[in-house]
Amino acid sequence: MEELMSRAGGKVPTRERLSQLAVSETGFIFDPQTGQSFSVNPTGLIVLDLLKRGSTLDVASNSLADRCGIPTEIASSSVEAFILQLGRYL
Amino acid sequence: MKATRPKGKSWQNYKVAVTGINARAENPGPGCAVARCIQEHPLFKGSIIGLGYDALDAGLYARHLCNNSYLIPYPSEGEEALLYRLAQIHKSEGLDAIIPCLDSELQNFGRLKSELQLMGISMLIPSRDQFNLRAKNHLSAFCESIDVNAPESKALSNPTFFDTCEKEGWKYPLIVKGIFYDAYIVHSAFEAKSVFAKLVSTWGYPVLVQKLVIGDELNLAAVGDGKGNMLGAVTMRKKALTEKGKAWAGVSIVDDGLTRVAERIIGALSWRGPLEVEVIKGYDGKIYLIEINPRFPSWIYLSHAVGRNLPVAVLKLLSGLTDLELSEPTSGTFFIRHAQELIVTLPEFETVLTEGRLAPQMVQDQIIRSA
Repeated sequence: MEELMSRAGGKVPTRERLSQLAVSETGFIFDPQTGQSFSVNPTGLIVLDLLKRGSTLDVASNSLADRCGIPTEIASSSVEAFILQLGRYL
Repeated sequence: MKATRPKGKSWQNYKVAVTGINARAENPGPGCAVARCIQEHPLFKGSIIGLGYDALDAGLYARHLCNNSYLIPYPSEGEEALLYRLAQIHKSEGLDAIIPCLDSELQNFGRLKSELQLMGISMLIPSRDQFNLRAKNHLSAFCESIDVNAPESKALSNPTFFDTCEKEGWKYPLIVKGIFYDAYIVHSAFEAKSVFAKLVSTWGYPVLVQKLVIGDELNLAAVGDGKGNMLGAVTMRKKALTEKGKAWAGVSIVDDGLTRVAERIIGALSWRGPLEVEVIKGYDGKIYLIEINPRFPSWIYLSHAVGRNLPVAVLKLLSGLTDLELSEPTSGTFFIRHAQELIVTLPEFETVLTEGRLAPQMVQDQIIRSA
């Protein structure tokens, strides 16, 4: 996460920011700081859940690769893209 | 003259008068929401007296909110007319407290505070100095004195400013505001001058112009204890607006930055009473103070919904309680405002127009007689 932050600058949400989010089982997300709400798909929910629990990007990518049966490289780039996308909402 | 309110009377049994019970859907007064907060508190056993200015103020007829209702003179008639009318109402009702809910009436109520106190009627309202310091035309100077960001603003008495303002760095769109209420975004000198004339005819001089800040609009309602402490802040983000820019949907949030700004305001003013702090959280992350309203906002029912019933907190403070039993701030509670028709019978309307009051038994009798 920190590595991605140094590459992408301020658009990456911090762990503290992610931990504030209220996430439902269906992927509905409420940001208590801004009042904004949005939804993530099931794979996004897997990644967000792992990151909120403190997993590193590598752990989140490997876990996503295992659960979805995709190569780790694809999972890794998908996780990075997802976090950058998330940064635009937070 | 001695205070008629027995010492130690519990807030739960108070007879509370509430003003601002007009309820136009696009821009309702806060009074009905204040009354609802108090009526729905499980421990409240007293009654609410609605004080309206116009026979079409909906709260006058809202039986579930106001047990009895009265018309009072418009603020422009001055404090003597108000005192005379309040004394009449007090004789019939035996009021314990008044919660004024409109900016335009607060100065009159402020001048009558001692007289009303002697009659046994308490109010938690700001002093004249506190009221004036936070006024729209003094806001920039106040913000500078407490190191809070505010959009640049100016008090105007001449609309020709709008013809040349762009040369002086005031680029359109701008916000043009009345001294008490109303704010419009204007995109040209023509539009600005038309709004200027409208605001002068409604609210008088000066008219205020403010630079537009782009960001999210956040509002915070709280109560100041008069000693510099903020009690029970509730923060809301507007989710949908009426044409007048008022919230018709919103959600409770927790924003530490805004809370700190509000604490600084209340501390600097030693604010006494309810207030609403309106800010824009700019996309640069900074908080810009837009307005400080010296009363509860019309969305105050949200405070009851999140366990921080601020109108009841005011009653508790007036009764001398210090433990307000407020829940921790929470986020994620939504409100959606909706319009609803109140049915008013001819005898009810007639009684308000001819007698300036609406007492339930009298109306009931008239209905039975006419049946």
